[in-house]
Amino acid sequence: MASIAAHGLAIPVNRSHRRLNSANTTSGTSVTAASLHPLTIKSKLPTFSSSQNPKPSFSNTRDNSNIFASKQLQNVVKTSAAIGAGLYALSSGVSNVLLSGNGGGGSGGGGYGGGGGGGGGGDSFWSKIFSPAAIAGEEESQEWDSHGLPANIVVQLNKLSGFKKYKVSDILFFDRRRGSTVGTEDSFFEMLSLRPGGVYTKAQLQKELETLATSGMFEKVDLDAKTNPDGTVGVTISFLESTWQSADKFRCINVGLMPQSKPIEMDADMTEKEKLEYFNSQEQDYRRRIERSRPCLLPVSVQREILQLLREKGTVSARLLQKIRDKVQQWYHDNGYACAQVVNFGNLNTKEVVCEVVEGDITQMVIQFQDKLGNVCEGNTQYPVVRRELPRQLRQGKVFNIEAGKQALRNINSLALFSNIEVNPRPDEKNEGGIIVEIKLKELEQKSAEVSTEWSIVPGRGGRPTLASIQPGGTVSFEHRNLYGLNRSILGSVTTSNFLNPQDDLAFKLEYVHPYLDGVYNPRNRTLRTSCFNSRKLSPVFTGGPGVDEVPPIWVDRAGLKANITENFTRQSKFTYGLVMEEITTRDESSHISARGQRVLPSGGISADGPPTTLSETGIDRMAFLQANITRDNTKFINGTIVGERNVFQVDQGLGVGTKFPFFNRHQLTMTQFIQLKQVEEGAGKAPPPVLVLHGHYGGCVGDLPSYDAFTLGGPYSVRGYNMGEIGAARNIVELAAELRIPVRNTHVYAFAEHGNDLGTSKDVKGNPTEVYRRMGHGSSYGVGVKLGLVRAEYAVDHNSGTGAVFFRFGERF
Amino acid sequence: MASQIIREWAGIQQFPAATQSKLLELLGKLKQENVSTLTILVMGKGGVGKSSTVNSIIGERAVAVSAFQSETPRPVMVSRSRAGFTLNIIDTPGLVEGGYVNDQALDLIKKFLLNKTIDVFLYVDRLDAYRVDNLDKQIVKAITDSFGKEIWRRGIVVLTHAQLSPPDGLTYDEFTSRRSEALLKIVRMGARIRKQDIQAASIPVVLVENSGRCNKNESDEKILPSGTAWIPNLVQTITDAVLSGSNGILVDQKLIEGPNPNNRGKVLIPFILAFQYFFIVKRIQKSIKNDIARESRPAWA
Repeated sequence: MASIAAHGLAIPVNRSHRRLNSANTTSGTSVTAASLHPLTIKSKLPTFSSSQNPKPSFSNTRDNSNIFASKQLQNVVKTSAAIGAGLYALSSGVSNVLLSGNGGGGSGGGGYGGGGGGGGGGDSFWSKIFSPAAIAGEEESQEWDSHGLPANIVVQLNKLSGFKKYKVSDILFFDRRRGSTVGTEDSFFEMLSLRPGGVYTKAQLQKELETLATSGMFEKVDLDAKTNPDGTVGVTISFLESTWQSADKFRCINVGLMPQSKPIEMDADMTEKEKLEYFNSQEQDYRRRIERSRPCLLPVSVQREILQLLREKGTVSARLLQKIRDKVQQWYHDNGYACAQVVNFGNLNTKEVVCEVVEGDITQMVIQFQDKLGNVCEGNTQYPVVRRELPRQLRQGKVFNIEAGKQALRNINSLALFSNIEVNPRPDEKNEGGIIVEIKLKELEQKSAEVSTEWSIVPGRGGRPTLASIQPGGTVSFEHRNLYGLNRSILGSVTTSNFLNPQDDLAFKLEYVHPYLDGVYNPRNRTLRTSCFNSRKLSPVFTGGPGVDEVPPIWVDRAGLKANITENFTRQSKFTYGLVMEEITTRDESSHISARGQRVLPSGGISADGPPTTLSETGIDRMAFLQANITRDNTKFINGTIVGERNVFQVDQGLGVGTKFPFFNRHQLTMTQFIQLKQVEEGAGKAPPPVLVLHGHYGGCVGDLPSYDAFTLGGPYSVRGYNMGEIGAARNIVELAAELRIPVRNTHVYAFAEHGNDLGTSKDVKGNPTEVYRRMGHGSSYGVGVKLGLVRAEYAVDHNSGTGAVFFRFGERF
Repeated sequence: MASQIIREWAGIQQFPAATQSKLLELLGKLKQENVSTLTILVMGKGGVGKSSTVNSIIGERAVAVSAFQSETPRPVMVSRSRAGFTLNIIDTPGLVEGGYVNDQALDLIKKFLLNKTIDVFLYVDRLDAYRVDNLDKQIVKAITDSFGKEIWRRGIVVLTHAQLSPPDGLTYDEFTSRRSEALLKIVRMGARIRKQDIQAASIPVVLVENSGRCNKNESDEKILPSGTAWIPNLVQTITDAVLSGSNGILVDQKLIEGPNPNNRGKVLIPFILAFQYFFIVKRIQKSIKNDIARESRPAWA
């Protein structure tokens, strides 16, 4: 019989059926942290050509779970195993992170599928543990010996032969108090590592009995074997369950980082008085222990439930304690406290049950850099850069939570500095019950350069491709990331379709990004970006209305400098403000600078007396203006469908610096609302709700307005069903849209109606391009569509001409 | 073209004596009022008889006319002087091309008219066109947009091809009055003349018949079916319009380009910017703060 501490009942921590490592086994190996699979992200940045991680590690999650399924049979008493349990959940969570996240490493796609959907995978995992198949695996190959005794006799354990391997045909639990056997669904069965059909030696059976006896669940427990005619034995465990006096109080304390209370052997020779003193001192010790312990996270509601349970049952039995333990642990695990476990029940036989929990307090947070081979090395990245991405909950002194770990993983991954990230909680050897959170990072190469080339063969004279007309084109780009380890970067790229004659269409960009403008320790998150750029776009202002055959296009080239500061409030909401200085050149089809738009005369000729393209009316404008943009975005995904609200206000304020001293205030306000029409349950694989999208956009300009800055109406992002700018180009515009999205299977179908109006301000654009190119200035459209992956296929009817057409578009309208 | 030599108004000689005396009387009246130059702008759709009307007034074939095609690719000013009095008539190309208002033609006219003063504006259309449509309104609107509403104070609606037999059941007078009323209505709409101003700015309507087969009266004057000699009548109306007291329209750069929309409201920009900052940006910032506060935090945070 086990010696039971006066006030405490030690319940083995590894027995919960909610726990991964719940089964006993004869082997004493424990799962070490090293063999576990921590939270990992391996990212392959698309721009980084030399990444050596083409295949993300999570692709073999399925295999991991199998390994684990067999491992869990081992008897694990150490807390490290408990962390291991958490770890498994973490690593299965990774697939979640990546599924919803940045899509880093497209090659990993197949892997996620195998992962079985993160958290959800846990259930199947558990069923696997308890399925007999998992257990049979271990013993299958072993031979067993017949008991060699007459059938149907009861043999005591110590009478069994120590040399034989007995096959256990069935196991019965016999409750002596009730005088009946208990069913297999009873919680006691979970404490047992013996399984029907298993083969065990006498020593193993004895050990099993010992484990049961020392568990504190029983006052008395015996193991008998009943011989069967076929040589197998039936095992009967008869027990007397421990009970204590009824309690009407419940208390839960966090004893993490405190020395475990150890039952002190009572000296059998103690006198009554000594015993009493001893008990008293123990009682005092315990009271002190309770006082020193920290309050636990368990919410009052759960505590009240447990109290209810206590009151209902009357006496406190071992089974009741087990139930309480399960309940407490379940709450912790459901809330992500993977390392939490009930270690002890104290103060039994008083009015109060004290549940001692080790919650998994973080004693240390270590950031480690690894080289390509996985050896610890000195990193280039400064620690505060990583540290500021970690949730508060992962700091020293907090309780470890898986969700916080996942959050850390996501945050660090979004820095795009590391090819591999692991968040790995491991037990603190020096501090019992403590957790050290290790963050292991593999850095990406700092510098990268890329050259991509393409040859285009252009028709030469007479339409035939000639050797001289073969043009070498391509892109040269370079990137220097993570300067000074502070995530500053310089990137540049040059693209041309003809390297031999690059002045024709040279596109370049040079950008310097300086994050943590207010210092890396300052929680304010502002990023400075300066860039030097050029771009070439077809002006939608010089577009014909319906029935106008062809309007000679005008290209708008912009080249300049830009410097802005972005302050991120949340992941999506931000405020950007800065200065733009640019030179705008308008060109016609043949790249000649054109000061005015062209138009086709009814006679078929082309006259170049259309609306002026620039403010200066020379075809070249220079200007400097301030630009500010504030975005409020609280949208989120509910089962893959976007719901929430997005407001954007942008203003360009001319400074009166530049050609013709442009002074203007150009502003636009966009409001989009995604209204969820039905409450749905959230979770993987659940149907998304139907959504109504309401969208309004106002754009206006006071002051100098060159035609390239006029607001245009029509196009896939303005009024669908029209070409870009087909409705008009105006000084003030309004766009209204409504779209109803109905989920169908994995995608959704939608119906929409849109309207765009120039508010009569087309004439306030110099040269009135709307009228010159015979556009209406207002227009509506309606239609239906279906989303096919990234592509939207829609049929839209343009209300001005009354004709419909099918469009295929990439990306989202809103 | 502007430096065209001003020729002696010889054509006046070939008018019948009655017309001549009437014209001279009117010119004398203008001279009395210190008006020594008269510039008449003639505009309208293509092929309605603008050039023919010009020729009829001058009394000679000053501008080329053809029955079947446009002979006036660009504006032409015909100037004639008689006894110290100069008459300028500006003939213009038709404003309609391919069912649309020909902006290019309008631009040409505007450029041509730069720095000239228009004393009288003749809007020419046919009497024998039964209906008015949206195009008429657009033309009137285009003219108004280009030269301003003021031009209609000096405007005269001229209806050509006046010698016709009216549709069944209508007398000639009834038909002409209804046709002119319909056209005037469109003009008022297109020129955005408000109801209360109609009385003040009543636009006279003159009937014209340029054809050589025009009926003549006993003194050999071309007459309308109603019996009035139309040339003296037209000149009379023109003189009345000039003497009505309103000013001529000086076509300058500003008029052609209209009020520069780029300059409108420029002084308000600092206020607009302040408004945007305090009422829009601040407000959005506030709602972002609300969003952050309301954000559903995970249980562990």
